[in-house]
Amino acid sequence: MTQPSSKPKKPKATPPVKLETRAEVVIPQERSSLIGGSGLLHTETMSLNVGPQHPSTHGVLRVVVDMEGENVKKVVPHIGYLHTGFEKTMENRTYAQNFTFAPRMDYLHGLGYELAYALPVEQLTEAVVPERAMHIRILMVELNRISSHLVFLGTGMLDLGALTPFFYTFREREAILDLLEMVGGQRLHQSYFRVGGVDRDLPDGFEAACKTFLDGFDAKVDEYQNLFQGNPIFLERTKNIGVLTQEMALDLGTTGPNLRASGIKLDHRKTTPYAGYDQYDFDVPVGANGDCFDRFVVRVQEMRESAKICRQALTKLKPGPIQDPNRKISLPPRSELETSMEAVIHHFKLVTEGYHPAKGEAYVPTESARGELGCYIVSDGGSMPYRIHFRSPSFVNLQVLSRIGIGGLFADLITVIASLDPVMGDVDR
Amino acid sequence: MSLTRALELATERGYEIVSSAHTPFKTVNAARETFKAFLFECKAAGFKMLADLTGVDYLEFTTFMPERFAVIYNLLEPVTGERLLVRVFVPDGEKVPSVTDLWGTADWHERETYDLFGLEFEGHPDLRKILTPEDLDGHPLRKDFPLGETPTLFRDGRFIDPATFRAGLMGKDPGMTGYRGGARIDSSLVPKLPTEANNESRGLGGPK
Repeated sequence: MTQPSSKPKKPKATPPVKLETRAEVVIPQERSSLIGGSGLLHTETMSLNVGPQHPSTHGVLRVVVDMEGENVKKVVPHIGYLHTGFEKTMENRTYAQNFTFAPRMDYLHGLGYELAYALPVEQLTEAVVPERAMHIRILMVELNRISSHLVFLGTGMLDLGALTPFFYTFREREAILDLLEMVGGQRLHQSYFRVGGVDRDLPDGFEAACKTFLDGFDAKVDEYQNLFQGNPIFLERTKNIGVLTQEMALDLGTTGPNLRASGIKLDHRKTTPYAGYDQYDFDVPVGANGDCFDRFVVRVQEMRESAKICRQALTKLKPGPIQDPNRKISLPPRSELETSMEAVIHHFKLVTEGYHPAKGEAYVPTESARGELGCYIVSDGGSMPYRIHFRSPSFVNLQVLSRIGIGGLFADLITVIASLDPVMGDVDR
Repeated sequence: MSLTRALELATERGYEIVSSAHTPFKTVNAARETFKAFLFECKAAGFKMLADLTGVDYLEFTTFMPERFAVIYNLLEPVTGERLLVRVFVPDGEKVPSVTDLWGTADWHERETYDLFGLEFEGHPDLRKILTPEDLDGHPLRKDFPLGETPTLFRDGRFIDPATFRAGLMGKDPGMTGYRGGARIDSSLVPKLPTEANNESRGLGGPK
């Protein structure tokens, strides 16, 4: 249908580029005389303030970038916008209350934080974790690790301009969060672990639902890999960008997938097994070049390994107790309260005062989705930790940014931030 | 391997080695004057990574400690995963030598410890606050830093003293809920609650 338009469209007049005006504004007089007085060549170093509210900073990271043209010359990250004083707060709460705070630091891998907090307290209280609770913990932590890596992959590709993978990864992430919600009651901050076990047993139908999810998961990972590994745009944007050498990584204390992408096989689940990881069979994927591409690939391969661990955990789950039977640590079941006076006393003491770990210090390094996560606890024998410190992986990994973010284009800096996978709640605590 | 070598070095220097029944990791209590040389030797012995650096304030600790503060260096051997904790006691107001020249990662860790504990690191290239806001005075993780509950004067003249505010909420003294009651320090600045007596004079009175 060709309907002659009544008025022929006038081509929109584009305003002429006012180069002279722009040059006059930005170039000081003495500078323009140095370049022959043309006043057109723009050679100033420009400071650009990225964030704190910017989608590509994954939270509230502020980066001040010095640029010459589009080339990044200097990067200074400013952090602390999300500082909540968790350590001070936790020093003034009982050990049991602190399980609420632990997952709120790294909100993407919250159960990793709960585990990192539970392990040193268990060392101090000498709690014994039953076998079933041990495998439940590993199953939950690994599921959560997959969901964390899925967020990394989706938002990381989004930063590179690829919108589709975001929907793919968040589809699977929703499935995992539904599983976690079945168990812990919440999507992100479960507060599910306890000293000496877990809070409650797995609900009916969880194992079957988990198995269904895991069965189809490897095909989904293939799908993600097809989306980016052969994509020429993606390769162009990530290969040899933001190369982190081994020396630099060791000097700057980088851990986790960022370190393994540089070719150093340090995984605390393998080197210093904790919480029963020594019973599991899995590989540690390692990259070769330490560029952004390797950091993407290592995490995607880690998802497969985590799914492998989850499948093993499901086969290892046998009926049994889920908490340390020691009534000085774990709450008595509700049914006992009606018949046993002793249970009422224990319940009252645990709720009002809490348990008293032995005097001493404890540190257990664990492998979170971002790197070495450890909780350093100094106990003075009271019911509240005297000093509690979280060695948060994102805080340390983010230091790398001012070294490897420079030298490239500004768009590469965004790639580097995405590939380091910082969680600002974890950085600022 | 690296750990045995480092412990030998510590014994040579006469440092106390603390091992606990709870944790598999050993702690070396190093002297503040010579610990940096010891850390250098540890690094040469294989502890290539500084995993963590943090402070402890022993002000209210139940056991006697030689000094008020301590800095904990958490060394990691990246291949075998061996770990050694080195503790250096620091008196209040004294400085600690910075280890940024040994491990670049100490940069932010020392800034954090400076920010939260007020421990100064000598030789640090850029010792600034890192986590807390610029206008915050004091160092929050010191044990004598008050825990929240700061009396606050709002721009509209509202003053809240948390203790009295809470007492008002619990019905102990209904006039002290902070907003218009007697919770302000200078009661002459407080507009009085409309009572039956002053309602008529201010023309606010309703039907009696």
